[in-house]
Amino acid sequence: MRTLLVAVTVGLFSAAATAAQTPDSVRARARADSLARARADSIRLVRELEAMGRQDTTRSVLPGQVRPTGSTNPRLLPDFSAVGDLIGDFSPKGSTQEDGGRFSVREVELAVQAAVDPFFRGDVFLGISDVEKISIEQAFLTATALPWRLEARLGRFLMPVGKQNTTHRHDLHTVEHAYVVQRFLGEEGLKGTGVYLARVFAPFGFYQEVILTAVDRFGEAPEDLVAEESPNKKLSGLGYSARLRNYWDFSQSTNLELSASAMTGRREQPLTVSLGEVNAALARQSVVGLDLTYRWRPLQQGLYRSFLLQGELMKQFNHGKVLLPQGVDPADYAGPARDFTGAYLFARYQVTQRGFLGGRFDWVQDPEADGARLLAGTILHEFFPSEFSKLVVAFERRSLQGAGGTTRLLLQASFAVGPHKPHPF
Amino acid sequence: MSRFLSLAFVAAAGLTPSRPAEAQLRVVTSTTDLYDIARQVGGARIKAVHISEGYQDPHFVEAKPSFILQLQRADVFAFVGLDLEIGWMPLLIDGARNPKIRMGGSGYVDVSKAIPVIDVPSGNVDRSQGDVHPLGNPHYWLDPDNAKRIARLFEDKFSQLDPAGESTYEAGRKAFESKLDANERQWKTYVAKIKGKPVVAWHTSWRYFAEYTGMNIVGFMEPKPGVPPSPSHLAGLILTMQRTHAKVIVMEPFYDKKTADFVAKKTGATVLVLPPSVGGKKGIDDYFALMQYDISQLAAALQ
Repeated sequence: MRTLLVAVTVGLFSAAATAAQTPDSVRARARADSLARARADSIRLVRELEAMGRQDTTRSVLPGQVRPTGSTNPRLLPDFSAVGDLIGDFSPKGSTQEDGGRFSVREVELAVQAAVDPFFRGDVFLGISDVEKISIEQAFLTATALPWRLEARLGRFLMPVGKQNTTHRHDLHTVEHAYVVQRFLGEEGLKGTGVYLARVFAPFGFYQEVILTAVDRFGEAPEDLVAEESPNKKLSGLGYSARLRNYWDFSQSTNLELSASAMTGRREQPLTVSLGEVNAALARQSVVGLDLTYRWRPLQQGLYRSFLLQGELMKQFNHGKVLLPQGVDPADYAGPARDFTGAYLFARYQVTQRGFLGGRFDWVQDPEADGARLLAGTILHEFFPSEFSKLVVAFERRSLQGAGGTTRLLLQASFAVGPHKPHPF
Repeated sequence: MSRFLSLAFVAAAGLTPSRPAEAQLRVVTSTTDLYDIARQVGGARIKAVHISEGYQDPHFVEAKPSFILQLQRADVFAFVGLDLEIGWMPLLIDGARNPKIRMGGSGYVDVSKAIPVIDVPSGNVDRSQGDVHPLGNPHYWLDPDNAKRIARLFEDKFSQLDPAGESTYEAGRKAFESKLDANERQWKTYVAKIKGKPVVAWHTSWRYFAEYTGMNIVGFMEPKPGVPPSPSHLAGLILTMQRTHAKVIVMEPFYDKKTADFVAKKTGATVLVLPPSVGGKKGIDDYFALMQYDISQLAAALQ
């Protein structure tokens, strides 16, 4: 045994000594051989991985086996998407766009959407434009685990007032909102920051949904009007809305939605005089409306044929007590002193798999023109190269009572990149 | 106005009927194929409904509010997955406000999890590749092996939610498999006539069917998934069909047959409109009838 141990020890030492005495050229050749082997191993590994990749596109699992599936989103990233909304305005008397441009990027919308935890989901939409720079279009938390089938949102959202207002502008069937929506709710529709509560029910066998909101104010704060106090100083000055949706399936192909909405709140209205910074009074404004949407889409030919008829009727009430600043005569109130009514009717027919023809008729007692009658007729063609891009050409003839007519020719191109959640039905 | 809002809310809450006591599991499926297999496994212990119809393109279903009512009280929502329903399902699930059928809920059943998926793209994927499914081809129900996997998944899920019915679900699944095995023995003669024969398909929805029958898809009417045929693509496809001697164009009933007829006229091929799902044609009332019809019709066309 002692002899064996001595022999092994001597052997190890002699091997080490031999290695230590190996010339540099030999060591370099050995190193090169080692690198070549490693490179060959690496190439073989890459080829094996490529082969596995190729197998993935055919059948990678033997019958009876189930592919082990892992998470498709291991880093828990939210869905990021962007929507671009581009406008070309070729109206004969000059651009009719807010920025005066013949070509403009009207808006880029960035969306970040994901479940926050088992109880909430979060949706954030940022709007970027040359006119408004960057703004929070929507940012809301939705409670997804409430009892009694309730849905609650907290944050900023599109106000559920009327049908068109619940759709992002770039996703409308027309280039812009209908004039009644622009004049009564806002050019880009009406948003609110507050609480949203909804419940679906069917006591009569058809779909009904009640949506109630309480928001910080009715509409955006005007930049050039300052009232003595904020509209939301009292709770009665907040914005409140209610909407009742009713939906019926007539057949597999046809359905109808008939809904009613109401919104009220205090808003700043102009005065003809200024008291220091104060140049506005607070007055209650309410909007009530009815909307109707009829759809026809045969299930089997639904890729190629469909029809949509949509109309909304709204009335704006300007009533109630006007809160004038102290020392201001009621005669100095320059806000609306009457009620206004407006409506639109829109129809769209699908002519090919990717092409739609549509038309809209608008009639509004224009609050911006003291109730003068605004009439507009629009015809348009929508073309969808895919689900994710849209090209629209629209011709509009508009006339305002006492101010003559305007002809508009608009082009719109919009596109979506990234996983964008479908828009409401 | 605030009084009006309060009254409206109270009225809405009060009008909601209370839930009746029912023993049946309420199962909603996104497609008729899942519906039929669920029905055969669950029997009378489940009450099943489906959202899309068999003659409808399942990619493009309108998220109608009436579907929300069905999902509101569902115990199970079983769907194909792999993004087949991505364009409409999120709206319905959100609208239903039913925690059971949300992701992570006990009734959220992504059937694709039980399926060995094919056509999983490797490398980078973007929409320049068309309406590509990054998680793989979702049209897996047209392979009977996958139908058995679906039946086993339903047996497990229904047994988990309704342990008292476990033996019923097991018996239902076994009966389904036995009937399918018996049918498959009959289909062997058809499959032998199909195997290796060149065909053109409209969409990638026939890939699993091709795996099962051995039919050789030499081209697609769509240049890319979801993209309608262009003249230049059709010109190339006609050359491919002439070169490969493909004599059958397989398509679903919801696509425009005129384009397929044009290609068929140029190549002397036959256009075969096959239902891709249960209910896709009158009389195709269950999964066995669907597969029987598709396999036998294709075999006859390829004769």
